[in-house]
Amino acid sequence: MKPPSAITSTMPSNPAKLKMIWLQGITCNGNTHSFLNDPALETLLESSEFIHHPLLPCSMNLRQLVKKLPKSDILIFEGAYKADFERAGMRMEELLNTLASKAKHIIAMGSCASFGGIFKEADPEHISGILFDKEKESGPLKEMREKVITLSGCPAHPKWLSFVIEMMRLEKTIAVDEFRRPKELYAYLVHNGCLRNEYFEWKVDCDTFGTKEGCLFYDQGCQGPFTHGSCNKILWNEVSSKTRSGTPCVGCTEPTFPKRELFTTKTYMSIPAEMPLGVPKRSYLALAGAAKSFHIKRLEGKLIDDNA
Amino acid sequence: MITHELIERIEGEAVLDFKTDKSGHVQEASIRFLHFRGMEAILEGRNALDALVIAPRVCGICGHSHLIAAVRMLENLYASAGSAVKVTPKAHALREVTRVCELMQNHIKWLYLVMLHESGKLLGKEPQVALRALYASSQINQMSALFSGQWPHSSYAHPGGVTCDPTHIEVMQALKLLSDVERFIEKDVLGCKTENFEANMDVESLLLMEGDFGTLLRYFERLDLLDLGKSHGRFLVLGEDAHEITPNERSYAHIDFVSEDDSQTFAHGGKTYAKNALYRGKFYETGPLARAISTERSGVSALYQQYGDTALTRITARIDEVVSLIAYVRLLLTSLDFTESSFIPPVSIESISGKGVGVVEAPRGSLIHRATVEKGKIASYSIITPTQWNLGNGTYDSPGIAQKAMLGIESTAKASLIFRTFDVCSVCTTH
Ligand code: SF4
Ligand code: SF4
Repeated sequence: MKPPSAITSTMPSNPAKLKMIWLQGITCNGNTHSFLNDPALETLLESSEFIHHPLLPCSMNLRQLVKKLPKSDILIFEGAYKADFERAGMRMEELLNTLASKAKHIIAMGSCASFGGIFKEADPEHISGILFDKEKESGPLKEMREKVITLSGCPAHPKWLSFVIEMMRLEKTIAVDEFRRPKELYAYLVHNGCLRNEYFEWKVDCDTFGTKEGCLFYDQGCQGPFTHGSCNKILWNEVSSKTRSGTPCVGCTEPTFPKRELFTTKTYMSIPAEMPLGVPKRSYLALAGAAKSFHIKRLEGKLIDDNA
Repeated sequence: MITHELIERIEGEAVLDFKTDKSGHVQEASIRFLHFRGMEAILEGRNALDALVIAPRVCGICGHSHLIAAVRMLENLYASAGSAVKVTPKAHALREVTRVCELMQNHIKWLYLVMLHESGKLLGKEPQVALRALYASSQINQMSALFSGQWPHSSYAHPGGVTCDPTHIEVMQALKLLSDVERFIEKDVLGCKTENFEANMDVESLLLMEGDFGTLLRYFERLDLLDLGKSHGRFLVLGEDAHEITPNERSYAHIDFVSEDDSQTFAHGGKTYAKNALYRGKFYETGPLARAISTERSGVSALYQQYGDTALTRITARIDEVVSLIAYVRLLLTSLDFTESSFIPPVSIESISGKGVGVVEAPRGSLIHRATVEKGKIASYSIITPTQWNLGNGTYDSPGIAQKAMLGIESTAKASLIFRTFDVCSVCTTH
């Protein structure tokens, strides 16, 4: 049995705040601004604080950070990795590796940090994520893989981040998928919870943007049926998502992001080239044939007749 | 003496190289941006519509402006290829709502995360996390997301309109958020009703204002910076309400007079990734102050008449813009006509070749996207961002806008603060 002092020391009346460092690689700052949208920021900052953050008040500026390379509970890395990319005069190779080895947990925030993302396109040979380079687990932190949680997305949702921080603070185990993405966030597909799902099932396509009706999978390139992410469960900015605003999902949480020809559905003999996740082509065809033979009046007309 | 200051708490970082005299006054200042990502090259070779996904990733705080610039570029391309696209007034109004939402959230973050923070620090005040301001900016982004699906990084504007088909519910939600934001502006930022602010825009009244904007002006007064930071007095607006304004003249501005100059970049032995943007071969200031003068908003114009392009006028213009945009968004939201379509499909992009240009007033000023497209594929893409106008490096005789504003300031720390009045963005400047 633990002596009483040990018990009180694990539950101090004023527990020490979780210390976090937010470091940026090659980035657009999109994840930084996504995070600032979290309405629970105040609650989050009651139990955690930033040693360094690019925009929020914090105890160390970049120069001091690079000089001290302090320990942290969580290192959040935003943006893509390139060994010779510099912050405050220090090569990323040294900066990231040192901070990472001194951190208890590491979060790859956004698709660039996760897989290389958009910026990898500029220099595919030298740019990668911190743990993964596209699908390959060959990033600079591969020796520390067990510490890394991947939060892919361009940007990652602020609530995905605050959820993971909270799980880490409470020392709970985070179940992860093959890319070390938390299953509670990425087991869903964007397709789950999309308001157009019924149109998908009955193979009613959306012949043009700007309508409430139809599914964007058949023509507009929606990647919802094979993109992992809870965009339609944990809504964006509390209120919406790409598909809810009629925009096809562009698959930004996947290592394949950004694909090409994002607003057309590639087809082979008028069958979508990419199948919904886990659906064999043959079964899909049989099902599609049957579904198409139904003519459901409700789904063929306007959802709301008079918009005025 | 030569000193280097690392400028943080902007979008990315910059380095200022100062040459000072014995007493520490700034004699020369040059601006270095060191992080380059090659966005234009990433766009080349892709389907032209992919620009609607890639271009917003130029910048995390004004990505939506990049989306609008890209969609305008595409619509201009369609028109010049002889297949003009129609956009209904409703679709246009929705784009305007989300575009100006981005301006408002940007200006609030600039006031709280950058200006109050940095000027407070110079006066020995420990800044707090500006939670209420961040909450207000998240509400503005929510307002935008009601139509655009998400902020940051939406792709809801397409040639021909917008992808959403909102109903009155979204509009009601947006109007409620807008009222909340307005209350925040009145209570926290101004400390008075917006009408009172707009009616009393003389320096004495401004300095007495109770809100955080008044605090910022008082900080500047205590730092003796309020009437410093003068630049060339040349202004440019290229997007909405295009004007060029010089001390003696005011006329319509035309994009044909815009050029880029890379003489200060690494490519030519310089020390930055940023290219200069020039109009008629000269530096022009772009952004909220230019817009206030070009639309002749009375309060700021009067301040400008009296104090010129000083820190006082520049700061006030950005805050006044937030106030004037609240009214504009309300007008847009209440006059939407839902019987109009959101989207009128254009012909396939694969049948389109030619050149397109899209211009938009982004938070920091005029943003330009140009592209050459062959059969729907991007052959070349070129972006000129607002900060390239304001933060370019000139020569000793003809310094850039922010460079000039820093000359003669009594210390490099204070000059750095003047630099920040331009709302610096490193990611946009280099892209
Ligand atoms: S993941 Fe997306 S949002 Fe994040 S840095 Fe990359 S491009 Fe920007
Ligand atoms: S629009 Fe996309 S996410 Fe929605 S139902 Fe269709 S395929 Fe699924």
